[in-house]
Amino acid sequence: MNTERYQRQIILGGFGIESQQRLTEAKVLVIGAGGLGCPALQYLVAAGVGCIGIADHDVVELSNLQRQVLFGMDDIGLSKVEVAAKRLQQMNPETELILHPILINRTNIIEIISGYDLIFDGTDNFESRYLINDACVLLKKPLVFAAVSGFEGQIAIFNVANEFVISTNYRDLFPVQPVANEIPNCAENGVLGVLPGIIGTMAAGEVIKLLTKIGKPLINKLLHYNLLSQEQYEINISPSDDYQKVTTEAELMNNNIENPIQSYIEIDAERMMELSKKDSTLIIDVRERHEFPRLNAKTFQQVPMSEFDRFASSNIEADHIVLLCQHGIRSVAAAEKLHQRYGDKKRIYSLKGGIAKWRNHFFNLLV
Amino acid sequence: MEIEIISFGKISEFISNQKITIDCGTTDELKTHLENIFPHLAGMKYKLALNKNLVQQNSELKNSDSIAIMPPFSGG
Repeated sequence: MNTERYQRQIILGGFGIESQQRLTEAKVLVIGAGGLGCPALQYLVAAGVGCIGIADHDVVELSNLQRQVLFGMDDIGLSKVEVAAKRLQQMNPETELILHPILINRTNIIEIISGYDLIFDGTDNFESRYLINDACVLLKKPLVFAAVSGFEGQIAIFNVANEFVISTNYRDLFPVQPVANEIPNCAENGVLGVLPGIIGTMAAGEVIKLLTKIGKPLINKLLHYNLLSQEQYEINISPSDDYQKVTTEAELMNNNIENPIQSYIEIDAERMMELSKKDSTLIIDVRERHEFPRLNAKTFQQVPMSEFDRFASSNIEADHIVLLCQHGIRSVAAAEKLHQRYGDKKRIYSLKGGIAKWRNHFFNLLV
Repeated sequence: MEIEIISFGKISEFISNQKITIDCGTTDELKTHLENIFPHLAGMKYKLALNKNLVQQNSELKNSDSIAIMPPFSGG
């Protein structure tokens, strides 16, 4: 270790050579080399973390450059992981960089994360975030979580026990993964580049605090940050009973996570058409009457959300009830209402993604 | 009684930070009430925090409590 390089942090009271040694010995995996990952990587490498893995399967695009500050014009079309590693290695040749230019999925995640002491989640979608969380729960890996939405960010630390030996994970906060389109991502919602810069850097600070055992890391806490008001709001996370923890690799690989509070089944259009052939199936379009495209009223009974409560309290004979709307969001709310009324007596389904996703399937069924 | 509502992310687009007068005694009743007056909320995943502690089971409310309404964020 070149102590001259790290001299400014080594001389800090409460840090010292001992903390620097802890950083040198640490192995951290950063998943997602995007808006959050870029600033986190820069500061973790600069601070002298001994070994850093970078996982991302994307290539650099022009629309990334507004916030992903490791990349430039010459990098467009190149692998993010490879470009990032080249820049970072030049910043600090003492850090060993391990490249994972692949999409983390159910079959490779265990093998990839098991080689690291701490995982940083800077991904951009719920599917990856829930998978990373569940894998970290299974392997008991400390997880630093960072995410943004609009002008706000969230940061938390999971799977690290506090002084009362209590640890929490993302499912204690949000037990069930939101369905596609329920919560917009940055591509749909937009993001000001400086926000992931701030949140990624704050989360890198949490990584350094955890590794060097200084300060009060955000263990069992969720920090909200608002760029527009510069306000922060911190809440305490406690364990939840609303989900079952993954206990084996097989469960994780098969996505066999039972969610007892899941009261309906999300289906695709093919499954809906199969169900429609049964006499005991009722398909309900919960969009308002002015919405397009209009569907064949014989197959799709129209009960707008504004009238749904009255319908839900009537006696429905069908055993299978499929709900649909434009994007599959209102139909979920309708499914929950029906489940409250009928419990497990009826099978309730929601068309995932709604009519917008399965437009071609509906084409023949339009009036 | 009067409670303070603090909202985050997409939820703050249709529920602004405000003080509201309610006759709900518990967080479950408050949830039903909020989903009635803000129907968008019923279709979303969200969690409540009562005085900065995550609500994991039905809890009693008292005057001047603060309730945070938080959606999950996924962006990066």
